[in-house]
Amino acid sequence: LKDRLTDALKRSRSDYAEIRLEHTWSSSVAFRGRRLESATAALDQGGCVRVLNRGHGWGIASFTSVEQLPAMIARADELSRVVRLAEPIQLVEVAPHSADVELDLDGDVRGVPLSEKKRLLEAYNGEMLAVSDRVVDTQAVYRDEVSEYWYINSEGSLLRQLRPEVVVSGVAIARRNGNIEKGLESVGLRRGWNSAQQLAGKFRVVAERAVQLLDAERVKGGTYPVILDQELGGVFIHEAFGHLSEADFVYENPQAREMMTLGRRFGRPVLNVGDNGAASGLRGTLPFDDEGVPTQDTPLIREGVLVGRLHSRETAAKLGERPTGNARAISFRHAPIVRMTNTYIAPGHGTLDDLLRGIDLGVYACGAFGGQTMLENFSFTAAYGYMIRNGRIAELVKDVVLAGNLFETLDQIDHIAGDFQWNQMGGGCGKGGQFPLPVTEGAPHVRIERALIGGDVTA
Amino acid sequence: MIARVLGRLGPGARADGIWRRVEQTGVSFEAGRLKAAGASEEAGINLRVLRAGDKRVGFAGSTAVDEGGLQSVVTRALQSAELGEPLELAFPGPAPLSSLAIFDAAAAAAPLTRLVEIGQRVVERLQREGRQVNVGVQREIGECTVGNTAGADGSYAYTRVAVSADVTRIGGDDVLMVYDMFHAAALPDAVELDALIGSIEARLALAEPVVESPEGALPVIFTPAGLGVILLPLEQALSGKAVLQGISPLAGKTGERVFDERLSLIDDPCAPGRPGSRPLDDEGVVSQRLALVEQGRVRQFIYDLETAARAGQSSTGHGERGIFGKPAIGYSNLIVGGDAARDAGRGTRREAGLGGGLLAGLDDGLIVDDLIGVGQGNVISGAFSHPVGLAYRVRKGEVVGRVKNAAVAGDVYELLKRIGGFGNDGRWLGSRWSPSILLDGVSVTRR
Repeated sequence: LKDRLTDALKRSRSDYAEIRLEHTWSSSVAFRGRRLESATAALDQGGCVRVLNRGHGWGIASFTSVEQLPAMIARADELSRVVRLAEPIQLVEVAPHSADVELDLDGDVRGVPLSEKKRLLEAYNGEMLAVSDRVVDTQAVYRDEVSEYWYINSEGSLLRQLRPEVVVSGVAIARRNGNIEKGLESVGLRRGWNSAQQLAGKFRVVAERAVQLLDAERVKGGTYPVILDQELGGVFIHEAFGHLSEADFVYENPQAREMMTLGRRFGRPVLNVGDNGAASGLRGTLPFDDEGVPTQDTPLIREGVLVGRLHSRETAAKLGERPTGNARAISFRHAPIVRMTNTYIAPGHGTLDDLLRGIDLGVYACGAFGGQTMLENFSFTAAYGYMIRNGRIAELVKDVVLAGNLFETLDQIDHIAGDFQWNQMGGGCGKGGQFPLPVTEGAPHVRIERALIGGDVTA
Repeated sequence: MIARVLGRLGPGARADGIWRRVEQTGVSFEAGRLKAAGASEEAGINLRVLRAGDKRVGFAGSTAVDEGGLQSVVTRALQSAELGEPLELAFPGPAPLSSLAIFDAAAAAAPLTRLVEIGQRVVERLQREGRQVNVGVQREIGECTVGNTAGADGSYAYTRVAVSADVTRIGGDDVLMVYDMFHAAALPDAVELDALIGSIEARLALAEPVVESPEGALPVIFTPAGLGVILLPLEQALSGKAVLQGISPLAGKTGERVFDERLSLIDDPCAPGRPGSRPLDDEGVVSQRLALVEQGRVRQFIYDLETAARAGQSSTGHGERGIFGKPAIGYSNLIVGGDAARDAGRGTRREAGLGGGLLAGLDDGLIVDDLIGVGQGNVISGAFSHPVGLAYRVRKGEVVGRVKNAAVAGDVYELLKRIGGFGNDGRWLGSRWSPSILLDGVSVTRR
């Protein structure tokens, strides 16, 4: 394959050319309620050629028929030449890399019979169903893959990676008459079969929470002091700031560049934020991004001040900054765009108790159903929450959705605890039609002095 | 291709499958400049088998469609069936297909330069100092064959054209993003491009000044783009799967008046020229227009073959499948409205202002065009709570400016008991047709 790739690339007429090829073996098992939905294995294969010519734009050809590679190289060149550009696209210089990296497969999922995966998930699903008669429906999903990934470019990079991934998730629905509540937990790692074990406790918690929420009141809408647990803190920083730090948002927009000038203060000195694609074993971790650039730990906010952003080779060149290894594609079906990897709020000091102290009435928002950003404004949806009364955690509340504003909410963070943890959730991030991209977030407990929580105003 | 795969199964085995080949060509303009042109080709097969005798069901998919790939799909589907649940599945037999206008020869034949021209025209008309204009033009040509061992064998081709435009305007620390999209089987004509540009300009024009949000239980107009939050719980609740699993708030309410008597929901897989249309579903069931909610009454839940078999119902032709995984329930084109919904489908967008003429009589309220985080949360319960992405304040029947830092919340089932009105701005947005809808008593909070 290596020779085929090298030969194919030699035939390219373009000034710059790169080829990605992927061969992905995956299997999945799903239970719904007491029934198996499916247990199946799949093969996915294909490639993407991306080229650039002086005076022209990107030409991109993706395909599933791998034997068409030479034709696709010609096609990408034609496409590039249709695009005329007065101001040429530059790529920041990166030393070529040659590497053959087999990530820790952690119990190669390809060697485990499908029946065993079914057995494991059936046990997890059973944990949810056994919690209570109120649990009327469940969704348990196991999915794994091992992807053989090749990357070659005309500057001399040649990379082969063997990338594993395993995701296990559980949803429990509890019902009492018209009242329907949901619990959700997932685990996603760039690891294998061994990391899918011993999750029974997590599945039990999913169902217990769904049942408990049947007795919870909806949170009353308004502004509160809010403490985020580690999971929601991670989703918060991904939505609140991570997307803004993706340089493709600013690099062609002078007003955006001004708004995101390096050195601008976004938070108080307690706030330190970064993105680390090189952290070990996390879902967003890879040795190289999809432009063959090594991943790294990139500081984004240091002591409250904007110090960096995430780049592709094109955005780094345009802004005159260093490459960070953040050009990623969800698969060969897409060209890489600037994405996060493992985004975090660095630990501060103290514990949850220290954060609770002094709050007369507030909300402790826990777990994450998701988050979304429109850059200045963003949402993050807690899976559940508790009222804080007189410095103590009080009653369970539901439908806790926070409305954040980049310039107000980050600056309202006044205390960050020392209990950092990576989330290791399944799911993924969506941008530019590419979903789900494996990412991870991490955070300690975080306190926001004042945040808007949507909800009923008449209750 | 499907016949070749079915032929590899042993005698007595029953199976169905889909083969699909999709070719996409697109251009993208970034900050007003043409930056990239792309093409993609994808072909794949998805197979379901029912083992002879014990009727256990298995699934497999592959994008490798050479001889080895096809054999591997069959082998993996049979392995999957070893673990599968038994299922009394009745595959549909052969049936004549109606011809639908979903393949447009001119769109299929359009050269790349034609797509560039369309994008260029949109860019030129939206470009202004201080705006970042991104435009994408994409054309898809697809072929699809659905077949089974009961003799169903349907093939069709389609084209899909998407022109998306987004404008980002940043002033100081204010980020305004306005987005819209044209989506159809054919290339847009001048009127349709005007509508796309007009819709974006109308929302930009009303975006200044930024005003404070009102607070309280208020009347809110949900535009066709903002209506997703209201419809999503209903879409989930009207799925036969939710009924089967015991989690649909609408289960057992067939014939009952649950909503305002002017509310209708229709699923129409035969709407001409629409990307959600197809002559048969991905399990070989012939398409038909179906009323789900009529005059506020629940009429019908949607089913695929498996859910129908388990629930003792018939498939309504809503089986949807990709190359990987198993078929699942999915809507085709959802048509929402009151009386207007009946002749929708042929409905092109009328010239109507933002809010669809529902502003008159609104003393203080909001127009919600975009919410953040829709779909996240406990959707099927009907409860929602979201920050606004793009919203406007209405006072004494006039838009007075854009609202930020506010959130809306409510319960869809309560709000839809009484609809304040349907707008005159019914339009397609992807595979949904709807006008604006005015709902009273939506909780609005602000920072």
